Amino acid sequence: MTTYRVAGKGRVDTGQPVTFTFDGKRFEGCAGDTVASALLANGVHLMGRSFKYHRPRGPVTAGSEEPNALIGTRRGAGQFEPNTRATVQEIWDGLETTSQNKFPNLKFDIGAINDFAYMLFSAGFYYKTFMWPKNFWHKVYEPFIRKAAGLGVSPTEEDPDTYASRNLHCDVLIVGAGPTGLAAARAAAVGGVNVVLIDENVECGGTLLSKPNAEINGMPSWDWLAAELVSLRSLGVKIMTRTTAIGYYHQNMIGMVEKLTDHLSDLPKDTPRERMWHVRAKQVILAQGALEKPLVFHGNDRPGVMLAGSAQTYLNRYGVLVGKRPVIITSHDSAWDAAFDLADAGADVRAIVDTRETVDEELQSQARMRGIGMKLSHTVTATSGRLRVSSIRVNPIDDGKAGDGLIIPCDALLMSGGWTPSLHLFSHTKGSLTWNEDQTTFLPKDTPEDCTIAGASRGLWGIENVLIDGASAGVKVAMALGKESQTRQHKVTHDRIGSGVSQIELPTDKSSGKAKAFVDFQNDVTAKDLRLAVREGMRSIEHVKRYTTNGMATDQGKMSNINGLNIAADALNKPQPQVGLTTFRPPYTPTTFGAFAGYHRGDHFEITRKTQIDSWAQENGAVFEPVGQWRRARYFPKRGEDMDTAVGRECRTTRAHVGIFDASTLGKIEVVGPDAVEFMNRMYTNPWTKLAAGRCRYGLLLGDDGFIRDDGVIGRMSQDCFHVTTTTGGAARVMNMMEDYLQTEWPDLDVWLTSTTENWSTIALNGPKAAKLLAPLVDGVELTEDAFPHMSCAECTVAGMPARLFRVSFTGEIGFEINVPAPMGRKLWETLWQAGQEHGITAYGTETMHVLRAEKGYIIVGQDTDGTVTPYDAGMGWAVAKTKKDFVGMRGLMRPDLVASNRRHLVGLLTEDGTKLEEGAQIVFDPHQAIPMTMVGHVTSSYHSDAMGRPIALALVECGQNRMGETVYIPMPDRTIAAKITSTVFFDPSNSRVKIPSGEML
Amino acid sequence: MLLINCPYCEETLPEAEFVYAGEAHVLRAETPSELSDQDWAEFLFIRQNVKGVHFERWRHFHGCARFFNAARDTVSDKFLITYKAGEPRPNLTELAGDAT
Amino acid sequence: MTHTIATSPAGLLFGTQGVQISRMPPKARLSLRSRNANLMALSKAIGIPVPTKIGACDTKGGTEILCLGPDEWLVLSDVSDHIAEACEKLYASVPHSLVDISHREVTFNISGPQATELLTLGWPRDPASLRVGEGRRTVFDSATVVLWRDAENAYRMDVWNSFADHLFQFLQHGCRELAAQAY
Repeated sequence: MTTYRVAGKGRVDTGQPVTFTFDGKRFEGCAGDTVASALLANGVHLMGRSFKYHRPRGPVTAGSEEPNALIGTRRGAGQFEPNTRATVQEIWDGLETTSQNKFPNLKFDIGAINDFAYMLFSAGFYYKTFMWPKNFWHKVYEPFIRKAAGLGVSPTEEDPDTYASRNLHCDVLIVGAGPTGLAAARAAAVGGVNVVLIDENVECGGTLLSKPNAEINGMPSWDWLAAELVSLRSLGVKIMTRTTAIGYYHQNMIGMVEKLTDHLSDLPKDTPRERMWHVRAKQVILAQGALEKPLVFHGNDRPGVMLAGSAQTYLNRYGVLVGKRPVIITSHDSAWDAAFDLADAGADVRAIVDTRETVDEELQSQARMRGIGMKLSHTVTATSGRLRVSSIRVNPIDDGKAGDGLIIPCDALLMSGGWTPSLHLFSHTKGSLTWNEDQTTFLPKDTPEDCTIAGASRGLWGIENVLIDGASAGVKVAMALGKESQTRQHKVTHDRIGSGVSQIELPTDKSSGKAKAFVDFQNDVTAKDLRLAVREGMRSIEHVKRYTTNGMATDQGKMSNINGLNIAADALNKPQPQVGLTTFRPPYTPTTFGAFAGYHRGDHFEITRKTQIDSWAQENGAVFEPVGQWRRARYFPKRGEDMDTAVGRECRTTRAHVGIFDASTLGKIEVVGPDAVEFMNRMYTNPWTKLAAGRCRYGLLLGDDGFIRDDGVIGRMSQDCFHVTTTTGGAARVMNMMEDYLQTEWPDLDVWLTSTTENWSTIALNGPKAAKLLAPLVDGVELTEDAFPHMSCAECTVAGMPARLFRVSFTGEIGFEINVPAPMGRKLWETLWQAGQEHGITAYGTETMHVLRAEKGYIIVGQDTDGTVTPYDAGMGWAVAKTKKDFVGMRGLMRPDLVASNRRHLVGLLTEDGTKLEEGAQIVFDPHQAIPMTMVGHVTSSYHSDAMGRPIALALVECGQNRMGETVYIPMPDRTIAAKITSTVFFDPSNSRVKIPSGEML
Repeated sequence: MLLINCPYCEETLPEAEFVYAGEAHVLRAETPSELSDQDWAEFLFIRQNVKGVHFERWRHFHGCARFFNAARDTVSDKFLITYKAGEPRPNLTELAGDAT
Repeated sequence: MTHTIATSPAGLLFGTQGVQISRMPPKARLSLRSRNANLMALSKAIGIPVPTKIGACDTKGGTEILCLGPDEWLVLSDVSDHIAEACEKLYASVPHSLVDISHREVTFNISGPQATELLTLGWPRDPASLRVGEGRRTVFDSATVVLWRDAENAYRMDVWNSFADHLFQFLQHGCRELAAQAY
């Protein structure tokens, strides 16, 4: 194969060959090559197929703005990434790459039939074509479109790579390490100012890497660059390459993605693939440079057609000639510079075609000196060549019209439509733009951030100009930070500074309906599509964009936005600012999900809180469930048991003997101070004044709207100290709510709240033998009905551990909750477990806890209530104090809606045929009514009850408390179930079981 | 991510340490049961939803744990000032003077 | 028995050349809440002037006191019973809340030349805003923690027990990542 590598050119290491594959074929490149530069060195331009028409495409750029050369890269199982830009991906030994959007292969693709169906696929064709018949969308159109369209293929295996994130605070962040950024860094790095300079490329230098002939202060640009980097490092500037600023957020927060391993053949241990940096900078300098614009003409997307500046980059940075017989088509001087570099490197430049009538005489003489033919005031009207350009058709322009064409054979066509400042990050800051008629482009104006934009990104051209501008930006930010700095003199020679004009579609003799002059290469949007959108009534650029999809591809219109705007403005016959510019949004370049996820994946996806007893549960085969951030043991299956069997056994054993349950996750708040009781009176519905120390009470917490927010048992440990418990999931919310009222409504109260959830391990013992088991272990309290009745609390010792003991029951059995210092939790559990063996103890989990409480009609906030349930709805009017002046929710309970007669009440349901209802199932009064039926409530809890020998359910039913004994219906997909409304208390309605029989005194 | 000045800590810190807590200066009556249904409904549900300078509450949740007030421009997302709970609503004209 | 931070003894948990993470021995700790006007009396009872600037930390004898909020202090002490007793005597005239929270947290010691850098993996604050000798309640990898900076590269981190495993795994992962970094 012919090589296009030029000896003595470029910064790649030709002494270090690197082998990789592309579509299964082996290629050799050099260390320092990208996939694109290595393939181009091997004469390969065809790298992919386009999104919509499956047209053959090659790289059009040499950077991250590349719309065409998207490939899949693969390292091993799971390490596959689609849509990687071949112009950015560095090669390494063993890299596997594949082209995309082709079937059966890249050179012959059946999908390219779309290209011939071009008329069908014009702007807005989705909206027009697939309107009818309506039911065809899901079955026919969408599957077809999904298969035919789309970029790349999603990976199917789990990604074994790791991703990282880090926070960074600095004085100055400079985005872009071209001449502007380098000069800015040098000027800003004074007096201890901490400067971070980043660049998305492998190395710093920006445009200097493509311009080795320029001389800065008498030094060749590359020597100057090397020396400058040494100086910057010695000044303490942190230089980060392969690092892209993807978004500019509020108050100078910049998101940056650093690529760490995608260029390595051997992955270092413990090194993440990418790292997301969250940077907060006092000052930001944007020095992202400018992007070259393509020209818009028929066939401008053929492989081999490329931006002139990119061809210059391939030559000077990678030592690759993109063609040996190139032709130039341009409206800007910069492409002449590229032509001269290619000619000097041995290319036979066939012609420079310039759309302008006059071009600087100096450039013309330089061309003549090299023997390059010039065609001023000419246009390109066609390109040909099946998979790579082999000739072009050039026509003179006469009065804006194309004259007779002439065919010029070539192997590359280098275009330049001028340059557009890169304003993406500036736009993220909500920075305003101003239209510059001379440059036919938007330039940055004001930004609300502490942000300075410098160099080519504010429309300046030429290395000398941008060095000076970068340095003044550096001085400006140093001064803003209170440091003196000075600009240095920069003298640049051999830099060819040029100018140009902006073009809409180039003049053509082809019928405009047939011209495929691409504006957005990646989304296959042509100039014709844009004009059609305007003809069909789109007036704003935002509408044109969405109708045509111009600028909506992964490159976010880096190539296409300004061309698209100019054409739309021309079609509307309005100046560009009146048509507007679409908004740039983060990320600047496509970013992996991994980079966003960072460390938060797999086991570390989110915090999993575990109690001190969790380890025992795990060792004893518990099945866990998440409850809020906690994981809790759900049930403890014995060998061969499924959940229903295990839960049945746990329920039975607890009601017959004793069960042990880890209640440590319950929220606990210590309320202390002289005004503690006043605070409790104001927060909870219940009266607290008369609760004696050593007693506890079930407390109900409402919102000011009158609806139930939380509940729990609250013990009065002493006159001024309450031990409040909350639901597991509600702990943080309740604490926040209490602090809110205390700090902002009642700051006069002398009371303070301390979260003690994690200070205690809490073990619940329930069952007829609970007292018998526990009593021998307790010192300081006598566990009799008289000395320590139901709803008592005390400080004592249990098994030698300091404890707070509560006599409470969430099961209807004799119950205790034992709080011991958290780290002693497991020891106490094991002690009780041992002592319980002779009593037939069982460990139970949250599922059994749910069943046992439902048998007693105890609610679970958030399950039986949903934020619209009042205490009266829940049948708990008894918990609402009647004589208090105020409590949170008291006024709410008087709201007209809350005292209405049609409230839904919590009731019990027993099915007539003994089936278990589904939680969440809707309830109706009349099963024979027309659909849609009037729904009157839903099932909130449903279990099989071992104690009752049948399923039981709780439900919210309209006026349910007035409908005891009535039958309601639960329509299900296959049948309708009838159920009778009952009390919520199914088991032991007289509460006889919570009493410790006097015979059990110990 | 915003930077927020906590008036208690007297430090300007990342938003990650704070949680938003709704509109500020929505006063709960001393004795709510004396309010009409209309007044109570306004207290519970009616909020300004300002385009422009909004008085709002934040809590330095992962810090000093205090609720405090802020004036923030909902268009630019800029904080004009933050101040302690219980302090009066600052004078906007003076603030505008400071901002320029 | 399943190995967790909760069951680990005090001492080194994990270390690289750059950072060592150890679990500190348990120490009695109290959460003190009161109004500013009462601080003189409370200072006397505790035996250290109660600092009033949030983040300020004072140590005397076996007692350390950190100001966490305008009315909140964390007291670590070898003589906590004595302090509790002295405060209890004041309660009638000097209303306050003193709650024993000795068993709520695990304390990690994070030190070594890369300690500060390690924290930047999960700590959005500017490390420079926490000066040596100070402490703060703050957020680390989405969990609330109390962080003391005892020296340029030595920190203590208090985390609630149930967060300890999660945060330790995060720190351990971070240590390995830093160790692999090329310098």
